Amino acid sequence: MLNWLESRTGFVTLAKEFLTEDVPGGASYWYVFGSATLFAMILQIVTGIFLTFFYAPSASTAWESTRAIYLNPWTHALLSIHYWGASAMIALVFLHLMQVLIWGAYKAPRELQWIVGVLLLLVTLVLGLTGYLLPWDMDAYFASQVSLNIAGLPPGGAILQLIAQGGPVMGTNTINRFFGLHVWLMPAALVLLVGAHLAIFRHNGSAGPVVDDPRKLKPGRFWPDQMFMDGAASFFVFVIILALATFAPPYLDQKADPTNAAFQPYPAWYFLFLFGLLNFVPWLFSQIPGLASQANTPWVEMLAAIVVPTIGLLIVLLLPWLDRSTTRSFASRSKILWTTFFVVVAIVALSIYAQTGIQAKEAAGPPSLPQDQVLAAAPAEAAPASAAAPAAGNGASVFAQNCQTCHGQNGQGQPGVAPPLAGNPFVTGDPKAVINVVENGLHGETIMGQSYGAPMPAWKGTLSKSDLAAVITYIRGGLGSNKASAITASQIK
Amino acid sequence: MSKHAAETGAPNGGVRKIYSAYDDPGTPEEISRRSFMANATLAIGGLVGLGLAIPIVGSLIPEGASSKGTWAPLTADELASLQAATSKPVKLEFQLKSKDSYLPEQSSGEYVWGIKTDKQKFISDRTDLPKSGTLPYSDGTYDVVTMNFVIFSPICPHLGCRPVWNDSATRFQCPCHGSQFDFNGEHVAGPAPRGLDPLPFKEQSGVANIMWIRYESGVPDRVIISYTS
Repeated sequence: MLNWLESRTGFVTLAKEFLTEDVPGGASYWYVFGSATLFAMILQIVTGIFLTFFYAPSASTAWESTRAIYLNPWTHALLSIHYWGASAMIALVFLHLMQVLIWGAYKAPRELQWIVGVLLLLVTLVLGLTGYLLPWDMDAYFASQVSLNIAGLPPGGAILQLIAQGGPVMGTNTINRFFGLHVWLMPAALVLLVGAHLAIFRHNGSAGPVVDDPRKLKPGRFWPDQMFMDGAASFFVFVIILALATFAPPYLDQKADPTNAAFQPYPAWYFLFLFGLLNFVPWLFSQIPGLASQANTPWVEMLAAIVVPTIGLLIVLLLPWLDRSTTRSFASRSKILWTTFFVVVAIVALSIYAQTGIQAKEAAGPPSLPQDQVLAAAPAEAAPASAAAPAAGNGASVFAQNCQTCHGQNGQGQPGVAPPLAGNPFVTGDPKAVINVVENGLHGETIMGQSYGAPMPAWKGTLSKSDLAAVITYIRGGLGSNKASAITASQIK
Repeated sequence: MSKHAAETGAPNGGVRKIYSAYDDPGTPEEISRRSFMANATLAIGGLVGLGLAIPIVGSLIPEGASSKGTWAPLTADELASLQAATSKPVKLEFQLKSKDSYLPEQSSGEYVWGIKTDKQKFISDRTDLPKSGTLPYSDGTYDVVTMNFVIFSPICPHLGCRPVWNDSATRFQCPCHGSQFDFNGEHVAGPAPRGLDPLPFKEQSGVANIMWIRYESGVPDRVIISYTS
């Protein structure tokens, strides 16, 4: 079977060539981070592809189809894996980057592999950002609103924001564009960049451990020795993701409501440090005498949101040229190692600072609904407007033609002439009594402590049974805040 | 790994790279350990694949298909045109309320064919329908002929196209594959496996109502696949 395939395609040789590789110093669990990241990427692609079978990107279906995904246990499992898979992928990319940084593996001749790797980190972050919007719930809306407005801050950013949003404000076009970015453009870029990353890796070989003379290292085998460790690490990651997906599934909030001023958005954990920076820099300015007046100006905000992160990114990108020494030994690289350490501490500190600030604001705000209540109340189903519309519409026209002269357009009544129908407990009470009055008329009764001059005519014979049913349904359920049951023609004698 | 594998590798600046780690086949213990690692790696791959395949396959199986029956009312004009009809089928248009997955309930236009007929004659003409003249549905049993009317689904029992009434041929003709049905909906030509499908029809509170049913296409028996849409 394999021989048959090999003689016609050469695939077996291709696979062997792909798996045959020297591992300097032998296989090690220190080398699993790149492979585990690749595994997380494959996991995201597989679960993501099948989530597109159920998700529909538009303002009127994004939240609704996401709700349906939550309600089906299988799609909910796929979504939960995708949600935690995203976090795992970003965490692994970060660990992978840290290791390369600490080991000095970005040095010549691997500068371009480092650049491609940093681009992969950026693409991964864009995937996280665009995916965050797609459920179109409260947090998706407001968190994306904040990031889009930040994108609009720098010169030329307004156009970028307009293009990303697909219009002057966020809406259905934004969902469509983020969807296109999230499921097509960014994954395609990711796969191409991973291909380049691996090709460059194979060209230069593994950097190996930090030793005085790399030539003395005894080579180990990639297949199966290193591959087994990569597989074990990936399986460990998979089990962690499954456990988180099972015991801490993501939360779908109520559908995006742009008018909800009380909502406190929070970013994904991997953007918390940027959020923290956005709050920290103005605070820092306010503490410095002479600069305090500048604390809340747009240029300080731009400094925090755009300038500092961009400089940080450029430093990371250009690291192979900023650190030109050829040695990889830890002792001679103490400056860069300490800088790395302090930057990581700063990122963690800013994240904690942001998180505590958000928690304080959330504690002060209204609590979010329990998940089962959010999922139970589908707005479209809670108010079956389309279902009741034909009957109610007919009832409204019957009311307009026959009733509103005395009872008022909105059923508010006329003092001394005819009683109000909106908010009238008799109207929303026993249907038989209401039918009786509409059919047979009424005069001289005191209603809710008031007397009225105009007599209620008897409508039996004037209006058809179906018109009577429609108009009674309308006055019981369509006027003011009246919410009583509908009447059918069969209830009319 | 074989000697062959050791001599292959990624090209490096046009020179074939030799991976020395594969030169030494290793001790018998190493060979046995590598065989275990290879199998374990494949097993891990299979396990992860299975773990993903279960929710994927589960999610692709649609949830419960049909819901309860709903009756769509005809207007008085439509009932009158049906009552006036004699030798020609009448196209009855109505609004069908349907719920499509997570979308809100929607009202959309739909139509059926109605014919005026005599109950005994129709039952003896349409040999493919039950002799009793009644059709079983999930929520009850209805007569094929109600108030001397028969309502036909507009959907061809062959593969789901929509036959149209041809006055000169006095037949329903399906534009897709040429199935033909006579005035009574009986299959007379073409590939359809059965005649046109009757729909339940009833009068309720002075309103004529039709129940919209989808039958499985392409099979001789009438298998109900959905009630509402």
